[in-house]
Amino acid sequence: MSTYQPAIGQRVPLVDGIEKVTGKARYTADLGRDDCLVGRILRSPVSHGVIIRLDTTKAAALDGVIAIVTGADCSYTYGVIPIAMNEYPMARDKVRYRGEAVAAVAAVNERIAEQALELIELEIEELPACYSLKEAYAPDATLIHEGKARNIEREVHHDFGDVAAGFADAVLVAEETFTCAEINHAQMEPHAALAEYDAERQRLTLHSVTQVPFYVHLTLARCLDMDASRIRVIKPFVGGGFGARTEALNFEIITALLARAAGGKVMMQMSREESFITHRGRPETEVYVKIGLGETGRITAVECAVRQRGGAYAGYGLVTILYAGALLHGLYDIANVKYDGYRLYTNLPPCGAMRGHGTVDVRHAFEALLDRMARQLDLDPFAVRRANMLSAPTRTPNDLMVNSYGLPECLQKVEAASGWKDRFGKLPAGRGLGMACSHYVSGAAKPVHWTGEPHAVVSLKLDFDGGITAFTGASDIGQGSTTMVAMAAAEVLGVHLSRIQVVTNDSAITPKDNGSYSSRVTFMVGNAAVEAARNLRALLVAAAAKKLEANVDDIVCEGETFSVDGGEQSALSFSEVALIALAEDGTINVKGTFTCPPESQGGKHRGGAVGSTMGFSYAAQVVEVTVDEDTGLVSVEKVWAALDCGRALNPLAVEGQIEGSVWMGMGQALSEETHYVKGLPVHANFLDYRVPTIVESPDIEVFIVESHDPLGPFGAKEAGEGALSGCPPALAAAISDAIGINANFLPLTPDRIVEALTAKRRKERRAAQIKEAS
Amino acid sequence: MSDVLPDFKLLRPVTAGEAIAAFAGSKMPRYCAGGTDLMVNMRKGLVEVETLIDLTGLADMKRYDLDASGLYLGAGITLAQIAGDAALAKAYPAVVQAARTVAGPTHREAATVGGNLCLDTRCQYYNQSHWWRKSNAFCLKYKGNICHVAPTGNRCRAAFSGDLAPALMVHDAEIDILGPDGHRRLALADFYQEDGANPLLLKSAEIVMGIYLPATRAISAYEKIRIRGNMDFPLAGVAVACDKETAQSGQFKVAITGTNSCPVAVDMAAFDFETDTLDIYFEGFKKSVQKAVSPQRTTTTAAHYRRLSVAAMAARIARGLWES
Repeated sequence: MSTYQPAIGQRVPLVDGIEKVTGKARYTADLGRDDCLVGRILRSPVSHGVIIRLDTTKAAALDGVIAIVTGADCSYTYGVIPIAMNEYPMARDKVRYRGEAVAAVAAVNERIAEQALELIELEIEELPACYSLKEAYAPDATLIHEGKARNIEREVHHDFGDVAAGFADAVLVAEETFTCAEINHAQMEPHAALAEYDAERQRLTLHSVTQVPFYVHLTLARCLDMDASRIRVIKPFVGGGFGARTEALNFEIITALLARAAGGKVMMQMSREESFITHRGRPETEVYVKIGLGETGRITAVECAVRQRGGAYAGYGLVTILYAGALLHGLYDIANVKYDGYRLYTNLPPCGAMRGHGTVDVRHAFEALLDRMARQLDLDPFAVRRANMLSAPTRTPNDLMVNSYGLPECLQKVEAASGWKDRFGKLPAGRGLGMACSHYVSGAAKPVHWTGEPHAVVSLKLDFDGGITAFTGASDIGQGSTTMVAMAAAEVLGVHLSRIQVVTNDSAITPKDNGSYSSRVTFMVGNAAVEAARNLRALLVAAAAKKLEANVDDIVCEGETFSVDGGEQSALSFSEVALIALAEDGTINVKGTFTCPPESQGGKHRGGAVGSTMGFSYAAQVVEVTVDEDTGLVSVEKVWAALDCGRALNPLAVEGQIEGSVWMGMGQALSEETHYVKGLPVHANFLDYRVPTIVESPDIEVFIVESHDPLGPFGAKEAGEGALSGCPPALAAAISDAIGINANFLPLTPDRIVEALTAKRRKERRAAQIKEAS
Repeated sequence: MSDVLPDFKLLRPVTAGEAIAAFAGSKMPRYCAGGTDLMVNMRKGLVEVETLIDLTGLADMKRYDLDASGLYLGAGITLAQIAGDAALAKAYPAVVQAARTVAGPTHREAATVGGNLCLDTRCQYYNQSHWWRKSNAFCLKYKGNICHVAPTGNRCRAAFSGDLAPALMVHDAEIDILGPDGHRRLALADFYQEDGANPLLLKSAEIVMGIYLPATRAISAYEKIRIRGNMDFPLAGVAVACDKETAQSGQFKVAITGTNSCPVAVDMAAFDFETDTLDIYFEGFKKSVQKAVSPQRTTTTAAHYRRLSVAAMAARIARGLWES
């Protein structure tokens, strides 16, 4: 008993970590290897065209081929946004990107499946294709989707405050346009799905790598035209998501279609290349930003125009382009903000949600320009940020709710730890320091599928063994949500963490959850877990009170002990109380729910729901680099990162999330980008898509700031995304400090840095010549 | 696009004679040592093999002699062995440095000297899946009629990407080859030709047995340009050997990888103590490297950058050696 410690605030290794590090964890591709048919997808060889002929006769005749499906087998579109579903699982009339699924085969083994793909006859009449923003936006561009003039999928125009007056008040107005390359999540586990169709009972079971089993479930019901009650979706262990799996993906539907056609079990394992082609990454983004600053660095107005190269289908695009504008707000106190956003269709794999959804490229541009303007005004970059702090509680001009704000403390931590005041501007040539701030939502306050249901449900079961089982649909994709549910319940119930088991992600067993996206799980599922545990606690306290003949208000429940006002003589153990409670009605099942209140759900303006949240995490970071001027290679020497996550429920997990965010931001800043050759992905492997390795990983010193959000579970907010978007601009600022270039692009690859250095030297030579001449 | 390994027969000879006989008697044979390059290419459908002849059982290929007369390095020695060899690092530093930069630690445990010397050339249009290459009408190197890197040319521009070759070349390496007609020995530079589709001058059934390096008093170094400090093939790599005490020619030996379809030896003028200053000399050094290499669009990183950066790196290494 004496060993009992409250769960919250402890450094707890993830409860499902042992399975992962010992290799016991079973991922989708590990399931049912021996008794499955093998699924393979035929993909379009061209970027844009009309399907003239698709003949599967020869393939179907091949021995060992059990089923073939094509676009003709599914006439339903799908897509994560109910008002923007414009994609078929397999192309029906047109193909719109190279690699788009056209048909699929289930065969007894891989080689036969491959042979069958070669035997499918596909004739496509090619149409002109648009790959770049410029090509797609040209007045005479071929339209990728009918009725979408200039290939604009979605445009957004928001104007808050009085921007013109704000700029008039400024002492310095500057504008720049930045280009950030498209990137991919590069999650370690390639995509895979396992579908089993029970023809007798007409039931479907799908195991998949998804972050959003609920959306997959709905999509399967729609695309297979099945009653949702006949479908079961299970998410096994998942090897990373980062947003790649926050919408139902075509291979999940195709695998299910194949299983139904075959009347059996089909395993679909994607190659790394196919995982890249499935994509849904961060779009190439062009950001125009204009900022007005007052004398002290106070931001008087901001104007921002964003164009995103969205790829061939809508997907999450509407949300991406809205986030890009909405999250101009919420970090600093800015009264006047104008935003124009355009997401364009191109003949490339569809983009989607990726860690820091919508905000990263815009934050980069904003912070990078702010840094340059600080230098122009001879102000310290920290001072400029401090001149623009919010004061919580408050609401932003676009009506986002801010109840807690730990950014000032984040700034203070990284400024002190990095020795900024003594070192900034004083490092030797080739070495530099930079800083930036960032933030992110703790869950979208308005869910994508608005049904009126609570936003999260957790149930708890207490049975004869005294064990507590938590059931949740929250998808643990490595971020630690399963551990968080166990900790939240243990804390409220005053029990050891080991008394709690968590069962997750089986639609036949666990409550529905909206999924792991927009960093919603800790806030929403955490609060639901707290409520469920409180409900169970109330039952147990009542049982203890009855036994102890005391008033429920006098019962103290802590450390697996129930007592009257803490008196030891009257104490009952948890097991004793559990048996007393069970004697009343048998197995106890309780649940807790959480719903974001209406005031958190954003403004009334069009698109106002995107960006709305229960609370923002805040981050500040300092990056130190060295740059080799001969080769343009940048080494990140050290990063100091502070994150306000409200309260660190599990500091060990929070630190991991901050390090991961910084590291992912560093990848985007330095080396990660996609490359297409006329729509063919050159980068679709881990040699050419350059995720940093451990060699490039800097020492990251992490600081946790706890602002205790009044609505968060135990005061917590999100921790997994907020620190990402500050890394690229802090790194760019450090490079600027080191070698004096102002780069308007990401990633800052060595070839681009050498080019920028060459241009800088040329400019300096010219300036010197002019000076000499005059 | 599935990365499924095709069916093949695996033979495991224990002598070179058996290996050569097996090659001669098999249909579509290939030799294989560490397999770190070949297996990936087989999975991508870039190599047609019916019989794979595993050379790792050949004791002769593991020969290693380092003495006052020089070095014999068996082709079957792994890169991990070289990378951790202190005596070798002292005698031929560039060779050890080059081995340490190849791929990652797990690759180096399997990858061999012979395999790195015989590494297939690489290109962004070639190292892709079957679906990818088929969608792009294949290429001159394999199954196609056009080089997508230089469509008007008539040869494949795929880049030689081995790290060891230049490091060995600056130490005047000779390669020991065994074939049906016995041993032959030639300068390592003559083992290669500027043709991405056929970079190796190796005859049918021949096996690279090892490398001879003469004793040297030159000091040397190898560095490679790459985006990441691990795993990446060289965007360009450069080895330099420096012998200040030698006669005017041959003070510096320079060899480059990653820029052409074969490793390139650069002719370098000697430092003239009468007329040169170090700054002027090494500026000229840089220019000579720039002129000698011809990087193409074989990677996603700009060719121009590869030329500039490898030249700057070469001059920097050379100056470092000169001043040490």
